[in-house]
Amino acid sequence: MKNILKNTLGNLLLLLIMIALSFIMISAVGSSQSQALSAFFISIFGSVYGLSEVFVRAIPLTLAALGVSVGFRTGFFNIGAEGQIYMGACAATAAGMALPGLPPFLMIPLVLTAAFLAAGGWSLIPGFLKARFGLSEVIMTIMFNYIAINLTGILVRTVLKDPSYALPMSPEIPDAMKFSSLLFPTRLHGGLFLALGAAILVYIILWKTAFGFRLRAVGENPRAAKCTGISVYVHLLAAALISGGLAGLAGAGEVMGLHFKLMDGITPNFGYLAIIIALLGKNHPFWIIISSLGISALHVGSSAMQRQAGVPSSISWIIMGALVLLILAKEQILIRLNERSES
Amino acid sequence: MSVEIISAAESFLAAAIRMGTPLAIAGLGETYSERCGVLNIGLEGIMLSGAFFSFIAAFLTGSIALGLAAGILGGLLMSMIHAFLSIHLRADQTIAGLALNFLSMGLTSYLFLVVFGRSTQLPECPVVGRIAIPLLSDIPLIGPVLFNQDGFVYFLLFAVAASWFLFYRTDWGLQMHGVGEHPRAADSAGLSVYRTRYFSAAMNGIFGGIAGSYLTLGLLGFFMENLTSGKGYIALVVVILGRRNPMGILLASLLLGSAEALQFRVQTMGSTIPSQVFIMFPYLITVVVMLFSIGKSKDPAALGIPFIRTKRG
Repeated sequence: MKNILKNTLGNLLLLLIMIALSFIMISAVGSSQSQALSAFFISIFGSVYGLSEVFVRAIPLTLAALGVSVGFRTGFFNIGAEGQIYMGACAATAAGMALPGLPPFLMIPLVLTAAFLAAGGWSLIPGFLKARFGLSEVIMTIMFNYIAINLTGILVRTVLKDPSYALPMSPEIPDAMKFSSLLFPTRLHGGLFLALGAAILVYIILWKTAFGFRLRAVGENPRAAKCTGISVYVHLLAAALISGGLAGLAGAGEVMGLHFKLMDGITPNFGYLAIIIALLGKNHPFWIIISSLGISALHVGSSAMQRQAGVPSSISWIIMGALVLLILAKEQILIRLNERSES
Repeated sequence: MSVEIISAAESFLAAAIRMGTPLAIAGLGETYSERCGVLNIGLEGIMLSGAFFSFIAAFLTGSIALGLAAGILGGLLMSMIHAFLSIHLRADQTIAGLALNFLSMGLTSYLFLVVFGRSTQLPECPVVGRIAIPLLSDIPLIGPVLFNQDGFVYFLLFAVAASWFLFYRTDWGLQMHGVGEHPRAADSAGLSVYRTRYFSAAMNGIFGGIAGSYLTLGLLGFFMENLTSGKGYIALVVVILGRRNPMGILLASLLLGSAEALQFRVQTMGSTIPSQVFIMFPYLITVVVMLFSIGKSKDPAALGIPFIRTKRG
């Protein structure tokens, strides 16, 4: 009971600090508080379009963060979601271009499988190197991010390039693999169900199956897991595959539901945001959805503040960075307080 | 013909050194940190902060020295946030570093807009000049490449030698090694794990700040949003390629600097090879080097693990 109280107090304090910080930053640029605030909230809640934009951004963020969380739960520290999103987008585009003329009910599952496997395979390499040889996955996945980003750049300039355009991008994907629009004329698309379905599936796998229990056991204490006969090696590999695969679905969703083609910069740091969302969401699917919506709303709102009140949208990055640092600090301080009261 | 080749080689090598210098300085700082067990992914944020504050100070005062001082303070500020969280509060070092990068990117873009507003013309700051070392700079090929550079390059050469001496020839270096390999044993031997790690974090901030300052005060003379654009991550690559040895870091940064200089040459020659092939090069090399290091890994044993003095194990 006392812990819950401390935790709530801590969260309230955090919230107050963040609000104060935002107010200071808004006044420092000489913008009016009320104008900035109303721009922020009206852009999110003021129209169906605004609200739909929050969901549009939250789709890839949720998928990628789910992937990151499966990795974290199993002890695979996947910083590579950014690159895996790119690989998923590449695989989806390539698969679609290789198989034109298939009907949607065959096309969409095929393309999603290709994206899942390509991105999962991409993350399996660092996963294998960690599980088999103990190589640090942190640095390795960062390297793989940059390789994937540049690989995408090469692909859209060579093999996957649309020859009729000068710009480096792929031709438009076949209609059969496009997600249908959910709420015309907004950009909300069927990827929403993909993200929700993935969240439910991740919950069921992690908490309702023996396999998920073993994954979490390996993450909690690999040595104890090994002693009870659970193969740490196999479960790390599985976690790496699922983790990368989910991020790959995020990339596929962006191609199939939003851009309809592959190009440079298809993810504006979504893969890194996903790590923060997994942290904010405590690696739990439900809270990950909530955090994705929150981070997504923060971005939609802050770009409206920039347009309408002249507040630099970079304050959303400051808020996110400061929030994560403060949360890290808070958790550790709480742990220490509890240690002290126990001893 | 041979004169042309020599002068082309000179300008290429000189460019390679200038490209490699910020990577080497930042990598050297990260080495201090990693040798005692703190992995700081926030190097990108440290460099960006150094680049921004050095630019602001140099722009406002017109003094390069004050700019450099501000850049160092900017780097220190960021590294101390990471140090406090990861050493004192034992938070996850990777997430703290990642958050630091976000914070730094937001803060520098925000402050830049606050100070300069939204103008189409980039404000400029003074840039350091080259210092030709008498006699040595007259040697063909080597002279113009090594001895007609700016102060940052000379500082790098000095810092590499000094760090090498510190790591391998002093008690303090041994102490850092002990703290990185086995903090509990180091603690039992009466060394302060926290103090050693804080010292290294400070070195990381100072060097990272200088590296960032070099981008603005040495190479570009201006600042823009996300100026470092991943250079901090390449510096992490340099640390691995150089195996946390100052000499190795110097060589690795020269290799990556050459790759970058080559990329510019090839691009200006109008090649049809996508530039991404060259940009990808350092990361591919790192992966290959890491593959070859399997089984003989020299990572500090306590890298990334917080030290809790009152706990066993």
